[in-house]
Amino acid sequence: MKALAIIRTAERVAAVSIFLTMVALYSANVLARQVGGTFASEFAWVEEAVRLMSLFLVFLTVGLALEKGRHAGVHTWRDRIARATGLPLRKIIDAVGFVFCIYLVWLGYQMTAFVYGMGQKSPTLNIPVFWIYLAPTIGFALMALRFALSFFGRIDRFAGQASEE
Amino acid sequence: TGVFAADFVAKIGHLESAQQSRHVHLEKVAKLVNERTDGAVEFQLFPQGQLGQQREMTEGVQLGTLEATVAPAAFLGGFNPAVSILDIPFLLPDNDETAQKIRGGAFGEALCDSFNSRGVTCIGLWPNGKKSFTSSKPLASLEDFAGQKFRVMDSNILIEQFNSLGASAIALPFGELYTALQTGVVDGEENPLDTIQRMKFYEVQKHLVLSDHGAMEDVILFNPAWWASLPEEHQKTIVDTFNEVIPELINHKAEAVAAALEEIKASGIDIREMSDEEKAAFRDKMYPAARAAFIERAGDEGENLIAVYEKEYEAAGAE
Amino acid sequence: MILFALVIIVAVLLLVLGFEMFLVLGVPALMIKEFFYGNLPDPVVVQKILGGINHTTLLAIPFFILAAELMGEGQIARRLTGLVKVLVGHLRGGMGYTTIGGSMAFGSVSGSAPATVAAMARMVYPEMRKAGFSDKFSLGLIVSSAETALLIPPSITFIIYGWMTGTSVAKLFVGGLAVGLVLGLAFAIMAALEARRSGVERGPRTSWRERLVAIREAGWALGMPVIILGGIYSGYFTPTEAAAASVVYAIFVEGVIFRELTLRKLFAVTERAAISTAIIFILLAMGGLLSYFITLAQVPSAITAFLDAIHAGPIMFLLIVNISFLIAGMFIDPNSALLILVPPLYPVATALGIDPVHFGMIVTLNISIGMITPPFGLDIFVASSTLSKPVLTIISGLWPFIIANLIVLAIITYVPDISTFLPNLVFG
Ligand code: NA
Ligand code: NA
Repeated sequence: MKALAIIRTAERVAAVSIFLTMVALYSANVLARQVGGTFASEFAWVEEAVRLMSLFLVFLTVGLALEKGRHAGVHTWRDRIARATGLPLRKIIDAVGFVFCIYLVWLGYQMTAFVYGMGQKSPTLNIPVFWIYLAPTIGFALMALRFALSFFGRIDRFAGQASEE
Repeated sequence: TGVFAADFVAKIGHLESAQQSRHVHLEKVAKLVNERTDGAVEFQLFPQGQLGQQREMTEGVQLGTLEATVAPAAFLGGFNPAVSILDIPFLLPDNDETAQKIRGGAFGEALCDSFNSRGVTCIGLWPNGKKSFTSSKPLASLEDFAGQKFRVMDSNILIEQFNSLGASAIALPFGELYTALQTGVVDGEENPLDTIQRMKFYEVQKHLVLSDHGAMEDVILFNPAWWASLPEEHQKTIVDTFNEVIPELINHKAEAVAAALEEIKASGIDIREMSDEEKAAFRDKMYPAARAAFIERAGDEGENLIAVYEKEYEAAGAE
Repeated sequence: MILFALVIIVAVLLLVLGFEMFLVLGVPALMIKEFFYGNLPDPVVVQKILGGINHTTLLAIPFFILAAELMGEGQIARRLTGLVKVLVGHLRGGMGYTTIGGSMAFGSVSGSAPATVAAMARMVYPEMRKAGFSDKFSLGLIVSSAETALLIPPSITFIIYGWMTGTSVAKLFVGGLAVGLVLGLAFAIMAALEARRSGVERGPRTSWRERLVAIREAGWALGMPVIILGGIYSGYFTPTEAAAASVVYAIFVEGVIFRELTLRKLFAVTERAAISTAIIFILLAMGGLLSYFITLAQVPSAITAFLDAIHAGPIMFLLIVNISFLIAGMFIDPNSALLILVPPLYPVATALGIDPVHFGMIVTLNISIGMITPPFGLDIFVASSTLSKPVLTIISGLWPFIIANLIVLAIITYVPDISTFLPNLVFG
């Protein structure tokens, strides 16, 4: 599980630094506009950069949210239905979630590769656009990992939802 | 759509609202093409960004999720740096006929061809009006622009256009622009008159200069596989129909612009027309900077295209 | 038809069995893709998922969430609510009015209902509970008051409507202010009734001296609303930038002035805000995918054909409008509903002589209601994640408000003067 701890730390550090950098860039943008003139024009790329960063912020954090049981859902009846029917409902959710996420990783990879092949660049930053499709590809992989670990009982992602019953 | 399903169905997505010139004429083209191919080709239109932002739609045309899009050139620079040449201010002459000579001639053809290596098939250019400047501060002369903040679309060339006047180029989402003009986050913006009227920017601006400085050209892009699947006669019908409606489109746009100007005038904002000498002065100031920014981005291909353009511009007898 | 029924059954099943909401939306979306749009290249799924969240205006949501977390963790929130208590604590249900007023003010500038829920919930929920309001009522009021964000100017919803229909944005803004106030008033009446019914206690009346002390106490904390509201209205920044500025101000005040925000705490708070953001955005992303398929289904032409067939008069037509929006709002992102439904409905509205400003109010109020109607009510999930409350508890608290909303909708729909009186007065 050491590998998971490393991944988790990487996710947390990345999410926090991206988030605070987004704040800093946007604030710098406001200040630059107060300075005005062509200096303000130098910051025209900020909007695009922050939007790109927000995609990574989201998709580097969805896995953490899953591990902590924080994703929205109507969990009220889940365990009661499982007890009444004898179905291993938590395992079923983990399995479906895993398949769903892995499929999206595959599609995300295809989309990334396609846009990479087309060579399209972003309008002001002038960086390759395939980067934006890397975000969901990584994000769904991080969630697939959590679904798998939960399925095999290596993490308890349902603990936080106990209070909801 | 009749009882019989068409053999070739194309979804066409674009950003404008259903009442604007582009959509009105897309509807015309759709009807004519359907009739002329005896119902074999059907166009389904998705206006106002229902199918996503322009970047998504253009990607969709490459990928094959969307058969076609009619895109403002200003949104295509990321796909094809060469098309950014159309962002250069005062690129096309004022006179509609001369402008059409350049658009429909060797320059337009070279520009259209430059798309073919980018996973899309360009079948032509459509005119879509020209931009003017508005601001909450006076725009009486070239010098007045210095120090003002203008909202720009995402494009390095448009940023250079304002830098060359000593103004700030500010990137803002279109949806936030009305409020930003109202509160003074930015002083001004540039758009065609009918957009200024539709978006009600004149409600929150004090000065309008009829400058016609920026050509708004639409590029008609098809998915290459879908296009190749069409029999040649259908391809020809489509291309001809798109070209055939251009004069009508120009008139429709001109009427929309005239009506827009009436409405804007009634609001009492200060309006002045830019004189020819002034336009020449603006072109002298803005063209070199924007041209340099374009070549920096578009490289050799850009340099070649500029050469074709400048030759055509002179040949067309534009001043 | 059978395949479509299958999609619905699967969606309901996943929801009831407690699958994560992004799976409840995502799995049926993939089924729709396979069943009805099999010839589209599959990667379009990822493109539309990303398209649902790749918008600059959405950035206000994470920034305001972060600012709210910082204020809640530190002193700003406590001092602001302390001030409010001293000022209105002696009124029965004063905390209820504070929630409504606060959400209206915050919603006005942020323009985003989910951002308003995210920012207000942590601050006002504990205080409403302390004041004696029930859990369900508190949740219902917090979530529904945030709706006014779309109505009270500035509002991007009106700007988009204005663009699609050519209606004056200034008139829409003024009309939206009137409708937003009517909605706020309706919620205030509910808060007053609830306070009386459940015996919420009055606080002691405070002297002006105590009030002045509280205002001084609030000092730096008061700078927050001043910076956000003042900064936007004086043109220093856009609403989205104001959100970022509020984060900087919160870090400065909590860290440098109150000296309680350590780097370790800043890290923890930012991480929490990032997780809340991810939870909301993954739903918006799935909503983007679903909306795409609904657009492709060409629902607008079906609606136009239906309206042609029944020759509806204005009253019947507006009823159909409301029902269409309410159904759409239950399943897709309300802003997509705006783009899909206005084009077929607006020409009919004008042909029936309905005032464009009035129609804009009806549409926008419907969209606001869509933010809080289950099953796809984004604000419900935002409240659920920021307050760690079960979705069902929030929904059960929301019903009275949804009914109140529908009553207001009926009034706005059939009394056009409410929408048009102020705009006509101001602009002639
Ligand atoms: Na608002
Ligand atoms: Na809803």
